[in-house]
Amino acid sequence: MARQARQTPDRETAADTDRADIPAPRESRSWLWSLGIGIAILAIIGLVPLTGDQSTLSLWTFILMYCVLAQSWNFIGGFAGRAAFGNVAFFGIGAYTVSLLLLQNKPFWLGLALAPIIAGAFAFLLGLPVLRLKGHYFAIATLGVAAALGEIVQAENVGAPAGEISLTPPDLNFQISNALFFYGFLVVSLLTLLGTAWLTRTRFGYALVAIRENEQAAESLGIATYWYKVGAFVLSAIPTAIAGGLFAYWQLSFDPVGEGGAFDVTISVAMILMTFLGGAGTIIGPLLGAIIIEYLDQSTSIAFTSIHGPLLGALIILVTIFLPQGLVRLVQELLRSPAGVKQSYPMRIKQGVQRVTRFILSNGV
Amino acid sequence: MAQYVVNWILLGCFYAAIGVGFSLIWGIMNIVNLAQGSLIIIGGYAAYFSYTLLHINPFLCILVSMVVGFIVGYIIQYLIINRVIRAPILVTFMLTFGLDLLLSNVMQAIFTGGYRSINTTYSSAAVNLLGAHIPLLNVAVAVIAVGLTALLSLFLSRTRLGNAILAVGMDREAAQLMGIGVANTYALTFGIGSALAGAAGAMLAMTLQFSPIFTGQYTLFAFVIVALGGLGTPWAALAGGMLFALAEVFGPLFPGFGHGPEIGYGLEIAIAFVVLVLVLIVRPNGVLGRPFYS
Repeated sequence: MARQARQTPDRETAADTDRADIPAPRESRSWLWSLGIGIAILAIIGLVPLTGDQSTLSLWTFILMYCVLAQSWNFIGGFAGRAAFGNVAFFGIGAYTVSLLLLQNKPFWLGLALAPIIAGAFAFLLGLPVLRLKGHYFAIATLGVAAALGEIVQAENVGAPAGEISLTPPDLNFQISNALFFYGFLVVSLLTLLGTAWLTRTRFGYALVAIRENEQAAESLGIATYWYKVGAFVLSAIPTAIAGGLFAYWQLSFDPVGEGGAFDVTISVAMILMTFLGGAGTIIGPLLGAIIIEYLDQSTSIAFTSIHGPLLGALIILVTIFLPQGLVRLVQELLRSPAGVKQSYPMRIKQGVQRVTRFILSNGV
Repeated sequence: MAQYVVNWILLGCFYAAIGVGFSLIWGIMNIVNLAQGSLIIIGGYAAYFSYTLLHINPFLCILVSMVVGFIVGYIIQYLIINRVIRAPILVTFMLTFGLDLLLSNVMQAIFTGGYRSINTTYSSAAVNLLGAHIPLLNVAVAVIAVGLTALLSLFLSRTRLGNAILAVGMDREAAQLMGIGVANTYALTFGIGSALAGAAGAMLAMTLQFSPIFTGQYTLFAFVIVALGGLGTPWAALAGGMLFALAEVFGPLFPGFGHGPEIGYGLEIAIAFVVLVLVLIVRPNGVLGRPFYS
């Protein structure tokens, strides 16, 4: 549990609160700032279709898809602090729900409405046993379920031989339909952003953070930790499944397993890496992480195909060593001044750099 | 049926070799080493090249792979993983995933993704017993795998260094107060774990074939084997290997399950994972595991 407690960078506040002359803490407005910045970012991205360039549009549609995925992983991984490694399962469930219904000539909206319901129910039923597991075991179990689902879809020929789906394109001009998918992802991302901001203001969100920081302490305060974790798991499944459904009809053809497949485990890893880079448990962290990593990923995979994999690997290593708290917390930490003391910005940044360095070093032996 | 039992025992012992290094690293340092598959493949290449270029006896190639594995592992732990050893588990999880991505891609770039294997004149030697075909090379590999497990167990319980490793695993701070250099001990632990992975890679090269494309698959195998067996003793890896092989060898006997030509295709993996999740729910510490560290 000492491990968990280290997630808060400001350990020196314990000493600060001993001083009697500290004014009562003002209610923090940082969530409003975060929400505002998040909406502004999405609004700017929303202008991309105006460029009329299809490859740019495709790039940013992928980025928005990963924004949704990272944001929804943030519920279970960032707020509740569970090492969920199998969230791609919900993505795959969404993709196959939509595909199977489309293959039976049912309307797209029906699939898109059913996908989150089925994935949510699956998350609930799966969460009941696996959320009783601790730490690595939870990670393994979720990873295993995602891998197994992909294998089953492939082996049982779900939807098509070897699960290799191929759909008829929507009856629209492809430029219009691509723009519609782009805005679909944008809307889901925006709703998830609003949901995250709302979560940080509710009892539910506070309970999840309490569980992340110290589960036993949370339990002893009367928080039904188990049910809150199940709730967070279901919450993270819902937008993921919608993204999976949109992905299916946007891409039209995809495999169950393998690179770019609907149950590809690297999608799970991408969600986690993006959330980590931006800041797990923050409002706009996953958004920033998804934009940075997916942009780098897509542009390097075109420019330097051969060194794309090693680059991503090296990036992961650097981020985990030097940015374990993510960009958002890094900026907060650099600009923070001790409670009740007015400080100039150069002074704050100087002390912030010291705090961050100390924190990074404290992770080592 | 005798054939299935033979296959099961031989595969189970080989899987123990895949899992035992992973189990040591996880049990002592609480790191799930997702780069284990890459370390196994590095061992495979070390054995392959010392056989094809230097013409060393394949069984001595296992030693070469272990030395290479140890050096690579020591450096990785000392320079990289030691920097985040106290961070939450997700951080080390991500870090080792990044390492795996880096190592496997670099190997693919240097050696291409093609399959390689060590073929000797006696590779196909076998005896027939009770109607079962018993390949002798696989028997030798199984014996070596069990021997390495026994050696690790003796090393941990009987030597000062082994005791130091166990002590650090039980309580880092207390071990530090007793004068054990934690950074170095961790690096040694990871080195030994990688050496065992190297040995597994050499044995993989001798009995099957290997390619850097499948690093993730072997990591996944190690993961499942160790979680099935449990942490706390090297013998648990053997138990986990046996259980995992059980699902893989006997799974296709049941009607309706696909069975492909490669390991890892068809439903064996899905079955293994279902078994894994069930075992974890009933016995969260694995079949033989003790709540030694977690």
